[in-house]
Amino acid sequence: MWCTRSAAERVYLTRMLISMSIYVLVTAIVSWIFAHRHPQGALVYLLAVLPALPIFAVIASLGKYLVEEKDEFVRTVLVQCSLWATAVVLAFTTCLGSLQKYVPSLNKSPGPQNYWVFVVWCLAFAAAQPLVRRRYK
Amino acid sequence: MKNRLRVLRAEKNWSQADLAERLEVSRQSVNAIETGKFDPSLPLAFRLARLFEMTLEQIFIDDGST
Repeated sequence: MWCTRSAAERVYLTRMLISMSIYVLVTAIVSWIFAHRHPQGALVYLLAVLPALPIFAVIASLGKYLVEEKDEFVRTVLVQCSLWATAVVLAFTTCLGSLQKYVPSLNKSPGPQNYWVFVVWCLAFAAAQPLVRRRYK
Repeated sequence: MKNRLRVLRAEKNWSQADLAERLEVSRQSVNAIETGKFDPSLPLAFRLARLFEMTLEQIFIDDGST
């Protein structure tokens, strides 16, 4: 069954859950501080970058999973999904950049925030899994 | 790469899950190797050979495709 999880995958999912929980908590706290305490100076930069740190942990946990997973077939699938996700993000951001450059109405709009790049990568990574696995059935 | 894994497994009366457990890989790995859609690494191929007490050439068929 596809749902059988290896030890490495269970560790990876635990790390992901912890990192994402910290992300939600830190984001909530930072948002509250910006809304109610109005920080100034260097503290603004420090607080603003805090929610990104748990996302670094998410990226690192995926990297560690790739190293720790003993099943070479699973590793192959993961690497291919990562490549697909990276390709989607590169195509998406390139297309968006081109649209913003040449379409006057889009040129003036700020467009999506950069942190959406990781969200798009994750969505593409998840979407690629069944497609990549289907190739090997 | 083509191989005789499905036949060899059937001779032992093992399911894909049984073989996967013996190799310490996922059942999907066994299925992908059996169908020739995934070529195992050399260490995994040798583990297969040891398990079936055969040489690599007796399990895998070199059709010159890769």
